Amino acid sequence: MNKWAIAALVMLCWALAASFMVGYYYYQYNELSSKTKEVMITANLGINYGNKSATRWFNGTKISAGSTLLGLTKLNTSVNYTGSLSGAFVNSINGVSNSNGKYWLWWTHSNYGWVFGQVACDKYVVGTNETLVWYYETYSASPQPPS
Amino acid sequence: MNTVKIAVIVTFCALSIGTDYTLVGVSNVKPMDLIVFIGGFTYGPVVGSLIGIVSWLIYGVANPFGFEPRIWLATMFAEPVYAIIGSLLRRALGSPNLGSLRFRYSVLFATMGFFPTVVYDLITNTVYAFVYNTPVFVALFIGAPFAVVHEGANFLIFGACSVPALRALGKVVKE
Repeated sequence: MNKWAIAALVMLCWALAASFMVGYYYYQYNELSSKTKEVMITANLGINYGNKSATRWFNGTKISAGSTLLGLTKLNTSVNYTGSLSGAFVNSINGVSNSNGKYWLWWTHSNYGWVFGQVACDKYVVGTNETLVWYYETYSASPQPPS
Repeated sequence: MNTVKIAVIVTFCALSIGTDYTLVGVSNVKPMDLIVFIGGFTYGPVVGSLIGIVSWLIYGVANPFGFEPRIWLATMFAEPVYAIIGSLLRRALGSPNLGSLRFRYSVLFATMGFFPTVVYDLITNTVYAFVYNTPVFVALFIGAPFAVVHEGANFLIFGACSVPALRALGKVVKE
């Protein structure tokens, strides 16, 4: 008996079980989303144009549960973006476009302070009373938004 | 069919039904599948299937969770998948010396407990979907945790018990 063939069978078992659970959680997520889409939550959105300017806040914005950061941004600003497989890429906010190495990057405030957004804004679901900031800065500098 | 063989088959049925009722509170963890598999491995698919069908004839009808004829038929006629896999594995392995390479055989039997359980769960969940007018994919997704428990339990039961059970049976039964 080839030990690698047996190991492959075990891995196949694992893959099948994991796939079933992925399906289960995907279904549960969709169920929960559809049941809570009428529920309204509030979130805080900040827009910072860089160059040490003050952050403009849109506190207490009401959005439906399950909304993404893109939805929250659309409610408060004029946003231009390009869709792609990995998600929406923001080109400009309120007429200020990406240029000279500066881009619109987003941050969320957690218990550990400001955390850099890891996914596209249309993939990030906003939480209740969450505070998010769009910060117009360079990737290389990546400074934390001012409080 | 000799008397020893008949005695072993009847004992298998009794063991299967007895453990089903004993473990009625432990959902989806049952040695019945292993017993049917061993029946198929030792005596072929027909005898193995009979053990499964007879067990479900009793446990399925007098079931503490209730009786639904279509689901009962599905479980009863899906159970022989273990006997078929058992007999196919026996054909593939020949007369294996289970005393040597014991760990490898145990892992192999564990996986052979897993795969037919996937098939079994797919069949029974699909029938459940039709009986309760649920979309098939929803039934499969909702049933996934129970299926995974069933498959994981069979992986462990088959892995831990197949080799000792077959070795012990080999001492009793001379084919």
